[in-house]
Amino acid sequence: MATPTSSETTFESVSRTKGAVFEYLTLGASLFGLVALGVLLLYVFWDAFGLATAEIAWYGALVICVVAPTLGFVAYARRNTVAGEVALELVSTAMGGLLAGFGVIAVIEVIAGPAVWFAYFLTVVAPLVGLFLYNRARPEVTWVGLAMLGVLIAGPIIGTLTLDTLTQIESLIGGPFVYLLSLVLPAAVIARYVIDDYLELGNGNFAAGLVVAVAFFAVPLIDTLPLVSRSVWLIFLSTLVTPLGIVAWKNLAAPENRVGFAGPGIFIGGVGLLLIVTDALGLSGPTPWFDWQYLTSNPSRFADQAGLYSAIIGSVFIIVLVALITLALGVGAAIFLEEYAPDSGPGAAIARLIRINISNLAGVPSVVYGILGLAVFANLVGLGFGTVITAALTLSLLILPIVIISAREAIRAVPDSIRNASYGMGATKWQTTRNIVLPRAIPGILTGTILALGRAIGETAPLIMIGVATTKFSPPSGLFSKTTAMPMQIFAWSSYPSAEFQHGVVAAGVVTLLVVLLTMNSIAILLRNKFETEEL
Amino acid sequence: MSNTIDLSGDRGSQDLREGIYGVVFFVCAAISVLTTIGIILALVLPTLTFLGEVPIREFLLGTQFSPAIQPTVFGVLPLVFGTLLITVGAAAVALPVGLLTATYLSEYASHRRRAVLKPLLEILAGVPTVVYGYFALVYVTPLLDAIPGLELGTFNALSASLVMGIMIIPMVSSISEDSMSAVPESIRNAAYGLGATKYRVSTSVVIPSAVSGIASSYILALSRAIGETMIVVVAAGQSARFPDSISGLLNSFFQSTQTMTSAIVQLGTSDLAGGTTAYRALFAIGLTLFVMTFVLNVVSDVITMRYQEDYE
Repeated sequence: MATPTSSETTFESVSRTKGAVFEYLTLGASLFGLVALGVLLLYVFWDAFGLATAEIAWYGALVICVVAPTLGFVAYARRNTVAGEVALELVSTAMGGLLAGFGVIAVIEVIAGPAVWFAYFLTVVAPLVGLFLYNRARPEVTWVGLAMLGVLIAGPIIGTLTLDTLTQIESLIGGPFVYLLSLVLPAAVIARYVIDDYLELGNGNFAAGLVVAVAFFAVPLIDTLPLVSRSVWLIFLSTLVTPLGIVAWKNLAAPENRVGFAGPGIFIGGVGLLLIVTDALGLSGPTPWFDWQYLTSNPSRFADQAGLYSAIIGSVFIIVLVALITLALGVGAAIFLEEYAPDSGPGAAIARLIRINISNLAGVPSVVYGILGLAVFANLVGLGFGTVITAALTLSLLILPIVIISAREAIRAVPDSIRNASYGMGATKWQTTRNIVLPRAIPGILTGTILALGRAIGETAPLIMIGVATTKFSPPSGLFSKTTAMPMQIFAWSSYPSAEFQHGVVAAGVVTLLVVLLTMNSIAILLRNKFETEEL
Repeated sequence: MSNTIDLSGDRGSQDLREGIYGVVFFVCAAISVLTTIGIILALVLPTLTFLGEVPIREFLLGTQFSPAIQPTVFGVLPLVFGTLLITVGAAAVALPVGLLTATYLSEYASHRRRAVLKPLLEILAGVPTVVYGYFALVYVTPLLDAIPGLELGTFNALSASLVMGIMIIPMVSSISEDSMSAVPESIRNAAYGLGATKYRVSTSVVIPSAVSGIASSYILALSRAIGETMIVVVAAGQSARFPDSISGLLNSFFQSTQTMTSAIVQLGTSDLAGGTTAYRALFAIGLTLFVMTFVLNVVSDVITMRYQEDYE
């Protein structure tokens, strides 16, 4: 029989232990997955860098020179968050610049060749950039978007038809000059805009001039270096040196940000010190599988000669195409669903159907997309089994729902008040979208797209289904040439029984893939943080 | 916006241009519908041919799957069993861990810890699945094999499903946490006012109030596990089994197994000529997989929409 006393006893019996145990249980659960993944990552890094062969004293030197100072900076950055943010920004820019540089080298230097690149630069990229700049100067013009669309369709056709003539230009002016015109000059123009209009530091023209001047004046120095050619230097000037210079300049201009340079400085100095110390003391270090030879060699059945080169080039090629396709289609679809779709009538029903359809597509297993690619792109359209274009189209369809969903969110985050202000001034729907909505939504769109591309770069199952080769001994040479990709190569090697492959070559491949992913994700997060702080 | 005043010249061609933009964007959006139609046609057409060669009863109820060796048998049940086996193993890890994680994030974690933990947990879902498969094969299986009394094959369902469980934790935790965070503070305060402890509030008030979100997150995670391919291809092997006893069922965890997804990959990569029954079996299995995940996704959506508590 329930009496007031009995309910009081229940209340009395409430124990602190139960609550504390539960709290720690939930905390433990939150950390469980992270710890498990952390342990697995430690294993794979241990294998990939061959850390087992290093002697104890080497670890001592590592801790003293690199780990302890870096951790010291991290501890400091916990209190001084500005220092941490600046350090993160510098590191991400440097890593992103490196990655972009290698991507450009892969696509232009290795696959297309500077001559072909320059032909398409003249027919597609240059007109697009020209139209974009014209639109910036005269935002009220409505035909620019249509002209861009025309260039996107007609440009590749004209480029292909006149390819023979246009590729002559490269032999006249030379490879380095091609990069100067097609990469360094645009980088200088972008630097001017970023510094003048976005960061408002002034001196934009000076910065642009500096970029071009550095391109010329560094040439004698570059010519004396054995590893770096003029072309490679100009590529990295555009993708790495210029952005890093802008970020460094921006942070140097703000005195409270300068402390952030200590982080990367401590790390790089520490690594240098480590090399000097271990060399002086004759300590034997690790024997890494993940090294320059690994990144620049084609696969081999001998573990010590095996490399990821053809797979890296293949992956870069595929991902660049996927990025172009999904950005164009994803943003277009998101604009339709958010800006153009009618609110009532049959149009609204169609838009609703498309929205539901997209969220369902996001849940379809990736292997099913592989079957789609196999049936449609490889068999029906006849683009070929395991070719770059089939792989790119299949992966594009796979990540398109994710890109559309994130682009819609970014567009929806733009407040209606400024849209209405634009309409109130007589702007059309397209003018509003182009001049008001898209500039504000672009950081969010890019964040979502980069995260989705990270998914695409690690996808394996669809590639298997469309017949992508597991191992290929040379990089792809064109859209219709057969290719391999990093995850495919990892998949192939993981079935090799020898320990050298399982604990060496594959581990190094996994590390390569994870480094690429980590860089892409940190750039995305950096973009998102910037975007969020600006919205507030 | 037909009622705005146009200041920028010729009205007629303006409307035409605006119309073209609208059509272009509509085409972009319509591609997603074409994708769905493409998927359905790509799966259904070869499956119809396949079902002309293998009776649907034999396919859906057959307990043997042997596509390569004559006489070929195409029963899908062993593959469904393998898929469920792996899914159950993954669910055993991810469902409780994910729910507890969501409870911690929504009820216990400080603002700062949550800001750190949430993106970190997302990393779990961002690691490529082929990497997880490699982890399971090369590190987890030897680790589990070292446990005395556990006889594991090189390829086994156990390590594949454990690793897959880790991968789908964030799917459970993020959606569950969203729905737990959506439970209004006033309900919690009412429970505190009755003298409930934080533990009681979390387990008896917040979790029951958020049950629709938790259920839909569970179903989505299961759907993800069913469709997951590379972990099982790399680490779980390729032997299609259908247990005939309870002990056989338990033993299946320690042996090589084959799921629907890994059967699709096996059929897709083998040297089968395009026109054979075995090749078309790939599409029939693909359709089965597609229907299973589609139904689960729809059920999850319906739960979210129908049973969501509406707090005003």
